[in-house]
Amino acid sequence: MSYCVNCGVELEASLKNCPLCHTPVINPNELKDAMSLSPYPTEKGKVDVVKRKDFGILTSIVLIATSLSCLLLNLFVFPGSPWSLFIIGACLVLFVLVFPAVIYTKLPIYISLLFDGVAIGIYLYLITFNTASDEWFWMLALPIVALTTILVEIFTLLLRSFSISFLAISLYFFIEAAFLCVGIELLIQHYVDKPLRLVWSAIVLTVCSVIVVLLITLLSIRRFRDAVRRRLHF
Amino acid sequence: MKNLYSRNQAKKFKNNREKQDPKIWYKLDLSAIVYPTLQRRDFSSVYRLSVVLKDPVKPDILQHAVDIALKRFPTYKTAIRKGLFWRYLELNDRPGPFVQKDIRNFCMPMPFKAGNRYLLRIYYHDCRISLEAHHCLGDGTGGMYVLQTITAVYLRLLGHPISDGGFVKDINEAPTPGELEDAYMRYANAKVCPSRPGEKTYRVRGTRAPFYTFNVIDGIMSVKEVMNVASKYQATITEYLNSVLLYALLQKQQHDWHIKLRPVKIAMPVNLRRFFPSETLRNFITMVYPGIDPRLGEYTFEEIVKQVHNYMRYYINEKFLKGDITTNANTQRNPLIRIVPLFVKDFVVRMFYTKVQDKNSSAGLTNMGALKVPDNMKPHIERFDIYMGQPFSSRTNCAIVSFEDILTINFASSIVESDVERLFFQKLVADGIHVKIESNRNY
Repeated sequence: MSYCVNCGVELEASLKNCPLCHTPVINPNELKDAMSLSPYPTEKGKVDVVKRKDFGILTSIVLIATSLSCLLLNLFVFPGSPWSLFIIGACLVLFVLVFPAVIYTKLPIYISLLFDGVAIGIYLYLITFNTASDEWFWMLALPIVALTTILVEIFTLLLRSFSISFLAISLYFFIEAAFLCVGIELLIQHYVDKPLRLVWSAIVLTVCSVIVVLLITLLSIRRFRDAVRRRLHF
Repeated sequence: MKNLYSRNQAKKFKNNREKQDPKIWYKLDLSAIVYPTLQRRDFSSVYRLSVVLKDPVKPDILQHAVDIALKRFPTYKTAIRKGLFWRYLELNDRPGPFVQKDIRNFCMPMPFKAGNRYLLRIYYHDCRISLEAHHCLGDGTGGMYVLQTITAVYLRLLGHPISDGGFVKDINEAPTPGELEDAYMRYANAKVCPSRPGEKTYRVRGTRAPFYTFNVIDGIMSVKEVMNVASKYQATITEYLNSVLLYALLQKQQHDWHIKLRPVKIAMPVNLRRFFPSETLRNFITMVYPGIDPRLGEYTFEEIVKQVHNYMRYYINEKFLKGDITTNANTQRNPLIRIVPLFVKDFVVRMFYTKVQDKNSSAGLTNMGALKVPDNMKPHIERFDIYMGQPFSSRTNCAIVSFEDILTINFASSIVESDVERLFFQKLVADGIHVKIESNRNY
């Protein structure tokens, strides 16, 4: 029988430190009892992972069946143009988008988002088989998809590592919206061989800059921040 | 062994299923509506009740006892399902629940679709039988009926004569409609709904322990000693222990770094069966919030006891409690709220809970009081333990129960520091109470 010298409570025989104040228990007369068993089990339990397997299997089968039947129809019944690629691509995109939401995976969200971007890229590439040239894909579609994916990844990173008040979220959103619009306009102008100049995106940029400056001011001054939160709370 | 058993059961279950009459289902009771909405991957509202017997538990006999006893409690042998507007409990005739070896980090999250969809877990370890139940099935009193009936059946199977009574139900009797009712609705008929003032209270700052940790510190003491000390302060045991917890929290807030002081409040469930006769085995509790506002000045311990004593006398009576449950019930009865789809309700309830309700108290404390046990069962029982389960946010929950002359105070928390527990037990020791500590924490 040992008592904690600091707290004055009696300690159960297997305890080596006082659980309340962490003072070590040393009882020179009862060294033999040091091996006594804890009243608590030592094994740790784990929660069963519930996989929404049934729904996942069902979705996959529906998507695969749709793609296959369209492919067969395209090959043997309506063989004019490779139209079935539209549907196969759409099924692929749906599958990649739905997969992490339906089936519990340990995949980090950044990788899932990257896969989403790649799937959309592949879909757009499949469309090139139905168009006269694939220049638009390499010059325009692919860079825009890449830019959007990168921005979404950054947005996720910001949300996960910094504060997630709605003011901060809107700040991140407007900064990224400005970048996206400027990027899209520059890419379009590059594609149509015009000199790189900001026209419509300059308006977006200006509006976003004003909002961003406003948000930074609100975020940095506590009184303003509280006032906005009070009036806009939901 | 378990596999064979479950395979046979599964076959039986398949055959039974074809003969089944229309599925029996139950509406969730008024407070059970909230608990499933708070379900997260790392959180469930699960509480644990344990009984420590004098002899080691035999798992196969315990399993047999569980199978026999659970037939008496149809609302506990259920699975939760989603409807378009509300969730509901559906009779679960899958095999189970199976008794399992106890674990260190109990009160784990309980995913609704895992464990054959049971919302109940039964563990054994050495001399201890533990029952873990999701709060949407019922409150601690309801769970205690299940645990004690299982224990009685178990002891009977071992050849001991155990009579019914107290928390032990007659297993040959059919459940009465009163046991299955939502008792809130019967009593929620006040003419006015008092509003509930809510304010941000002190939150215990601490290092969040990693997922899958559940820190427990149990204090075991004599009921007589605590009662003597409480009567010295002219308070009941609940009032005294509430005051000690408030005192510990106030000291912790004072010593920690803080910009401004906040009120310290304790969320304490009140068993409504004491005031409104009902034999329901489902939830029938409401919360009261005894507290101290340190911004008004420094309180001595005697002043805290007095404040808590007066608060309890003023608020815990039939009239005030009826007003409180009417406020809750009116929200659920509102036709506009009723037609809103479940996912919207979930979103709103979760938001309200995390933003308002959870911030309304600094700690939880529940006292189940002295447990009534049939006389011929008493010699087989050492003591009872109850745990309020994993706290929703970083804080400690404290649950008290007494049996014969043993009073156990069980602290459960998911933070690393144990300052509140230390201050709490040090105060008890300073008041001259002999406390024995058990813990699953290891350093």
